Amino acid sequence: MNEITLDEVRRRAAVAGITLREDRVEMVRRLLNDALAPLRRMDPNAMRTMEPAATFDARGGDDGRR
Amino acid sequence: MADDELVYAGIRDLGARFRKRELSPVELTEALLARIARLDPSLHAFVTVTSDRARADAKAAEAALLRGDARPLLGIPMGYKDIYDTRGIRTTAGSALWADRVAEADSTCVARLQAAGCVMLGKLITHEFAWGIQSPGHRFEPARNPWHRDHIPGGSSSGSGTALAAGMCVGALGTDTGGSIRGPASFSGIVGLKPTYGRCSRRGVATLSWTLDHTGPMARSAEDCAHLLQALAGHDPLDPASSREPVGDYVGALDRPLRGLRIGVPRDFFFDGADPEVTRAFDAAMTTYRGLGAEVRDVTIPSIWDSPSFMVIMASEAFAYHERDVRERPELYGDLLRERVLSGALYTGAEYVQAMRLRERLRNEMLDVLRSVDVLATPTSPKPAPTFAAMWDVSLGFPRSNTPPFNLSGLPALALPCGFASAGLPLSLQLAGRPFDEATVLRAGHAYQQATDWHRRRPPV
Repeated sequence: MNEITLDEVRRRAAVAGITLREDRVEMVRRLLNDALAPLRRMDPNAMRTMEPAATFDARGGDDGRR
Repeated sequence: MADDELVYAGIRDLGARFRKRELSPVELTEALLARIARLDPSLHAFVTVTSDRARADAKAAEAALLRGDARPLLGIPMGYKDIYDTRGIRTTAGSALWADRVAEADSTCVARLQAAGCVMLGKLITHEFAWGIQSPGHRFEPARNPWHRDHIPGGSSSGSGTALAAGMCVGALGTDTGGSIRGPASFSGIVGLKPTYGRCSRRGVATLSWTLDHTGPMARSAEDCAHLLQALAGHDPLDPASSREPVGDYVGALDRPLRGLRIGVPRDFFFDGADPEVTRAFDAAMTTYRGLGAEVRDVTIPSIWDSPSFMVIMASEAFAYHERDVRERPELYGDLLRERVLSGALYTGAEYVQAMRLRERLRNEMLDVLRSVDVLATPTSPKPAPTFAAMWDVSLGFPRSNTPPFNLSGLPALALPCGFASAGLPLSLQLAGRPFDEATVLRAGHAYQQATDWHRRRPPV
């Protein structure tokens, strides 16, 4: 996956039904780009963790809820 | 006691003077209210000063002391971050959206401190909804850093950092979603503890991001943080994330010997882009620890570089919380916060899930490392406090931080002063520990502060 582009930010905003100030699109692009960089590096099928998931812990609350 | 000595005194010292009748909570409260009146017009730490309430609390504490009440927090003046609900007193969250909001009940943390005998001095400014620093023209003024007023005091618990550094309160409450207790502690030269996720209640505190939000104490020493945590910690059935883990003896553990403590230093990520002055101060702190009998060694957290995915989680959850208001009343959000909140709408469901999976892997690795060492040590921030001009310039992006990995993992983390940059700005050390092992983290911080005097330096106010 490549770097997030300004057009990609605008496309995502349109899908979400929100309007970003044009002079802030670059700021949002940076936010997304930095945040998504680790996801672009990961192999989602090789990872073993599964979160969020319902788990039950014997040390949970009296009623079994976390 | 000279005025400066009085307003910068610690909880144990104040309590001893109260009980020996050398000082009364009323005298201390009046001294702090006078100092707030003198300094706060230019520092802007307080949104609301509750003078009448403070005087009433102080008189009640004085009466209790005369009855022989020896509770350690009796008569201790506090400031509360303005996202903690306070009954009958407005709670603004630093936002025009909540500018006139008055809660009907105290948040659990405020209720616990008040029940322990604390004096409420007032409400401390927060970055807007704990995420957006106030820009010029905002409804609320941002707090200024007492060490250099052109620099930010850190955020989002900005007023808490400023008020403590300037000697306007003895303790404060902060919240920490990505570093909002530890950042102000770092930039303002004070001490802040983000406890384990679930250790302190979030009931009655404005939400930023449910799975990352923490509440906790801020003060001028690890010892004072221990006293405050002792009153704050414990299960709250009104916070669904609250833990039933037994509360430790944080104060009692402070003076246990440090010899043999194993400190792990993760060299990757946390030193990336760090100023040489930050690295030198950190290395000097590790030398101090070796001198105290601790064993210091490097450790590796393989997935640490995944921690920037923290923003996927925080922004997505923040948008989930704010969606209705930011769509219907965007004009009531500050310029910087609005686009940050809206950015949370741009992540896909799959990306949120993948970020949570990365988080779980990182958390597991950190827990693994903490089997071989007792605490992790890093610089709290790679650089000292930036200027307001830099923070307001959106082209410069979001500053890099060393604090979010411990929000992702939920581990307890303490920030404490460890030196000064040549520009006179404070530098800070971050210590993190095992889940619910705040006692060890605070003990390590206290031992360092017994051997150094960085936390006793005062800003030029």
